Amino acid sequence: MDTARQGRRVQVLGIDAGGTMTDTFFVDSDGDFVVGKAQSTPQNEALGLIASSKDGLGAWGMKIEDALSEIQTGVYSGTAMLNRVVQRKGLSVGLIVNAGMEDFHRMGRAIQAYLGFAYEDRIHLNTHYYDEPLVPRRLTRGVVERVDMFGTVVIPLREETARKSARELIALDVEGIVISLLHSYKNSDHERRVRDIVLEEVKASGKDIPVFASTDYYPVRKETHRTNTTILEAYAAEPSRQTLKKISSAFKENGSKFDFRVMATHGGTISWKAKELARTIVSGPIGGVIGAKYLGEVLGYSNIACSDIGGTSFDVALITQNELTIKNDPDMARLVLSLPLVAMDSVGAGAGSYIRLDPYTKAIKLGPDSAGYRVGVCWADSGVETVTISDCHVILGYLNPDNFLGGQVKLDRERAWKAMKEQVADPLGLSVEEAAAGVIQLLDSDLRDYLRSMISGKGYSPSSFVCFSYGGAGPVHTYGYTEGLGFQDVIVPAWAAGFSAFGCAAADFEYRYDKSLDINIAVDGPDDQKAASSKTLQEAWAELQERVLEEFAINGYKPEQVKLQPGFRMQYRGQLNDLEIESPIPSAATAEDWDKLVEAFNDTYGRVYAASARSPELGYSVTGAIMRGMVPIPKPKIPKEELGSETPAESARLGTRKFYRKGEWVDAQLYHMESLTPGNRITGPAIIESDATTFVVPGGFETWLDGHRLFHLKEV
Amino acid sequence: MNIQAKTKTRGIVRGGETLKQHRDRLMEATKKTKHYAGLTKMELRDSDPIKYNKLFSRLRAGVVDARETSKKIAASPIVEQEGELCFTLYNAAGDAILTSTGIIIHVGTMGAAIKYMIENDWESNPTIRDKDIFCNNDSLIGNVHPCDIHTIVPIFHEGELIGWVGGVTHVIDTGSVGPGSMSTGQIQRFGDGYSITCRKIGENDTLYRDWLHESQRMVRTTRYWMLDERTRVAGCHMIRKLVEEVIAEDGIENYWKFAYESVEHGRLGLQNRIKAMTIPGKYRQVGFVDVPYDHDDVRVPSDFAKVDTIMHAPSEITIRPDGTWRLDFEGSSRWGWHTYNAHQVSFTSGIWVMMTQSLIPSEMINDGAAYGTEFRLPKGTWMNPDDRRVAFSYSWHFLVSAWTALWRGLSRSYFGRGYLEEVNAGNANTSNWLQGGGFNQYDEIHAVNSFECAANGVGASAVADGISHAAAVWNPEGDMGDMEIWELAEPLVYLGRQIKASSGGAGRFRGGCGFESLRLVWNAKDWTMFFMGNGHISSDWGIMGGYPAASGYRFEAHDTNLKEIIAKGGEIPLGGDVDPEHPLWEALIPDARVKRDKQAITTEAMFKDYDLYLNTMSGGPGFGDPLDREPQSVADDVNGGYLLHRFAESVYGVALKKAADGLLGVDEAGTKSLRAKIRKERLAESVPTKEWMAKERQKILAKDAGVQVQQMFAASFKLGPRFEQDFRKFWDLPEDWKLLEADLPIPSYGREYTMDLSELPDVKTVQFVEE
Repeated sequence: MDTARQGRRVQVLGIDAGGTMTDTFFVDSDGDFVVGKAQSTPQNEALGLIASSKDGLGAWGMKIEDALSEIQTGVYSGTAMLNRVVQRKGLSVGLIVNAGMEDFHRMGRAIQAYLGFAYEDRIHLNTHYYDEPLVPRRLTRGVVERVDMFGTVVIPLREETARKSARELIALDVEGIVISLLHSYKNSDHERRVRDIVLEEVKASGKDIPVFASTDYYPVRKETHRTNTTILEAYAAEPSRQTLKKISSAFKENGSKFDFRVMATHGGTISWKAKELARTIVSGPIGGVIGAKYLGEVLGYSNIACSDIGGTSFDVALITQNELTIKNDPDMARLVLSLPLVAMDSVGAGAGSYIRLDPYTKAIKLGPDSAGYRVGVCWADSGVETVTISDCHVILGYLNPDNFLGGQVKLDRERAWKAMKEQVADPLGLSVEEAAAGVIQLLDSDLRDYLRSMISGKGYSPSSFVCFSYGGAGPVHTYGYTEGLGFQDVIVPAWAAGFSAFGCAAADFEYRYDKSLDINIAVDGPDDQKAASSKTLQEAWAELQERVLEEFAINGYKPEQVKLQPGFRMQYRGQLNDLEIESPIPSAATAEDWDKLVEAFNDTYGRVYAASARSPELGYSVTGAIMRGMVPIPKPKIPKEELGSETPAESARLGTRKFYRKGEWVDAQLYHMESLTPGNRITGPAIIESDATTFVVPGGFETWLDGHRLFHLKEV
Repeated sequence: MNIQAKTKTRGIVRGGETLKQHRDRLMEATKKTKHYAGLTKMELRDSDPIKYNKLFSRLRAGVVDARETSKKIAASPIVEQEGELCFTLYNAAGDAILTSTGIIIHVGTMGAAIKYMIENDWESNPTIRDKDIFCNNDSLIGNVHPCDIHTIVPIFHEGELIGWVGGVTHVIDTGSVGPGSMSTGQIQRFGDGYSITCRKIGENDTLYRDWLHESQRMVRTTRYWMLDERTRVAGCHMIRKLVEEVIAEDGIENYWKFAYESVEHGRLGLQNRIKAMTIPGKYRQVGFVDVPYDHDDVRVPSDFAKVDTIMHAPSEITIRPDGTWRLDFEGSSRWGWHTYNAHQVSFTSGIWVMMTQSLIPSEMINDGAAYGTEFRLPKGTWMNPDDRRVAFSYSWHFLVSAWTALWRGLSRSYFGRGYLEEVNAGNANTSNWLQGGGFNQYDEIHAVNSFECAANGVGASAVADGISHAAAVWNPEGDMGDMEIWELAEPLVYLGRQIKASSGGAGRFRGGCGFESLRLVWNAKDWTMFFMGNGHISSDWGIMGGYPAASGYRFEAHDTNLKEIIAKGGEIPLGGDVDPEHPLWEALIPDARVKRDKQAITTEAMFKDYDLYLNTMSGGPGFGDPLDREPQSVADDVNGGYLLHRFAESVYGVALKKAADGLLGVDEAGTKSLRAKIRKERLAESVPTKEWMAKERQKILAKDAGVQVQQMFAASFKLGPRFEQDFRKFWDLPEDWKLLEADLPIPSYGREYTMDLSELPDVKTVQFVEE
């Protein structure tokens, strides 16, 4: 794939700017692709990006100027915004809330004091702590007004309090002002009026301060979620916009003509000019999911379990019937938020996770903390003293100690062995290999249970799913966490390590908008009520559609180019949690339409919870309308090569290595991943190595490489 | 014939024992060997530690996941938002193997219900079959209070019982005399609401229709009730399925071994933690809280209940060098005619919850800890009542006040071992509880119980302040919830939510602060509300010179005229009642009828739209002398609204001055001299202990104490002869000095005549503690 060729036209660029490495993924007009890698440069991300691009394009023998001028699409994903939030390095933001409730943002929700904690720490009170609020109390002001849960005014807005608040915050030189009033999602009049007053005051001051009203961004119930998210727009998204602008300019200086888009939490890409940029707070891991979805669409897999193991975590996401599951009040960086996020569950267990024995119970504990890039005790220079999963890999022969990250880091098996003996094996009365294999088995079984519970939690069984395994450490454990689950197929892409960047390159241009609704109807409600409910929902869809089309218009797309997909959120009346349902009908008007929506909801509910948990006798509430609009973009072509011999070429063989599993040492055949060709079939024990990843095929498994450069793993 | 007889005697437990035989055998072996179930060796764990860990990790993850998933079915914010639910997996004998997070006190209470079914032969009648569903909320057999409803499902494998799964939620109303889950007006359990004793409510995974009809009409809030039940049933079924899958994969033998070894493992885990974290010896401490019932706003049906009393809970922890320990509550006062009594199981399980938050926060938490702890609760005390009439609806009032003393005891030990981070000056008194009912904004019969006080201040440690508005002793995962969600559940709009200044106890490290919510009645009809908290006695004290947290109080305002004031654009009460000693709101509503006092317990009072109710949440106690606090931290506290300015000087001895940006800074010189002055004053005020004791002794001899105090000691003496002896010896009291309830000018019904549940025909109660 990666050879020089005359007249190659590069069309798509995908970027995954992670904390340590920046990956670029280029796709040409034939759909061929190449991956570039470089160290990340957090001070000026553009530098790392250009370096990574040069690396990737170099493999094609191309100069960056020649490639960039042709590119139509560039998609960015990265961790910069998330880091800005975690490190509290955002802008100075002023917050306007209801008078009397000025403390609520800094009080947070107490759940934020233990979000992301392991079980033991969740129940261990003295470990709980709050992070600094995004907006300090001294930059918070209150306006006198109250609206109730029905949207009825309890206390009319006292405009002078808004004006005073605005003036005070402006005088304090804030760099953005956020307004969030209770129940503004239901009745936005007061909040909009406050916004306009603040805008007037900003204008009068002669300063340039952006203003963010929660109702204009995330008009959904739960003030902590909504306020946090709106604050993120002012606090972190605006600086990110500047970063993206800088990157865009840097690329333009190198000859590009395209505008960058950013991978967003809802699974589509949006322009860096988009209004709701906070939803790009996580993007890298989303990229992998989108990549899997795209591969599935091309190759005909509709149910996919996406699994990604890196150094610190195991991320799982499900694609069912080619659709992503969206979570609407997720948490991120220990903040509860209200933005649509591709439902992705993370276990704090990756290749770098520490292994410890509880000193009192001798229970084996994996993570949640991790040695990260420092690998483990096996790297003498790392300073790590506690054994990690990677140490087990080295002890058991999974990893080549001389070819870690292409040989950049030399690993010392003896060191790992000694530490493992002292810290785990001896206290448990096991041999070192038994202990290391036991830990791997435990990790695999944790990950497997996790994968299984996620799938069964959606009401499915693994047999109807294809499992995709990627990420740097994914293919090391693929066999372990899929064994015995009975997946329809297990797939490891040959470009597993750059899969997220690939996903970015494959993502649609998609906007999604949500609106809170409050439609209530009894189970046996009369037809005219059902029809009226359909109409209310339709009005909301129409409003959202307009917003979606507006965003596309900014980027020069006409309405007829946009594919629209409505959705809704429904629950049994009185419940506090709803389910997101993709509408089975393109628009709603009649009682029959209503019945179709209800049926879709009841089906999903029984599957997600339990048939016995269905409660139609309570009646139904529609709590939200959703509109998604998509514009297709050129995507990487999945390679299609002729199948050749089942036997790998001699040149692909790299010798053998001792490999321990199930109580015995065996000789595993080593292969060079890039030298394998379509059709090759490899029976375990074997280890397939490349610079960025290692694919382990133990005894009892075999794998074959198909024409799309996908490895299929199966138990024999 | 022979075969038939054999079939008849074959029990349902795996292997053929009856449940009773099974439990008896286990308990006998436990007693004999001091190891749970006689497991002096743990076969599975020792031979295959990896499999053992795998089983544990998979089951635990599944139980946690079932809780997270099923709670989304609920309509009640108490369950969905506050997480007041819990699922626990038991072995066949009803001992907990592992549990989810949440209200984990019920690890013990649901186990007690299972044991009650075992001891009273539910096996033969009403029978226990695969896919049966049982319900329990009976506080006389171990439940904390009637609003915690248990759903219990047996787990069978190939026709034999191999365990149980229990799910519990805190429901918002149980049909007691007054609305709300922890109502105050009743004084006997007959007024506590619907009481269900391990009743079979369904078979074949389906609930009986008679149960559905009856149970829904027994409570005010049917929708919450129904969806809470579906939450519990769905969660139990998810866990049952998980166990079936685990057995299919790892084999019944391994599961069976695991189900018992894990309990012994938990017991050893506790023992090892005690060894590692504490110092052997005796630790004594005490807790008090007020029951101010002799007040116009406490309307009870019986005159004999209309008295002011004090709960007394002295305790002695004995830690032995081998890591075993004993907790003795000799000297505790008698149960009373109120709703704050507790069953021995809820008392001991609750202590276990407290311990999981500091002593054993490991993943291996299960009934092993209960087997590793010896309790002595004298019969007849409030934590082990000897009368079947007692009410329980808010047993937490006494429980949290008694346990906070144990944090202090253990913390002294942690401190001694150098575990400074683990020191916790005590839990907050988790109140106020805003409760009430009537017709709500949807024109339905309704009851409310705001669970905002799941987020109180935390006690200080020996290295840092306690965190604010964050936790409750009964659920380590505290949360105050979003205001917009509470406004869906309650016809009350917020006019304030603010950190409560000075609610945390002062100290070198201060307790975390609580917060307060000002609520305006809105869209309510025929509405009532009441208060439930501590007003006269601060139950959580602080250690090593740290101050107690502030006690609660009540503020309610009626006929406020706020409608007109709002219409005219006048100033209205908003935010917090910053300094209750210098109130500002009354001036804004001059015509209102305001109740502002320390009467923090009331019964249903009528409220209408535009009335006000202040809900205050407690802070945690402090650690160390406030004069040792970093002065800048004091300035930061005042600037941040955690401390009232006047206490910076009077309590902390810190002089503040205006600094840049309008904030307050430390006046170094002023602080130095102020602190020196306070130290001098302390010395001037102090008297030698001997002198002080001589004076106090005279007061004791003259019985110069409030009637409440005298009643409290008299009741403690009667139930705790050793406590009385110690008291007499300590104060050197003459033989003829007697303190008897009969001599006091208040009624003491229940003093001589009581009748225990065990005296009912055909009832075998299960005893879990030494009495």
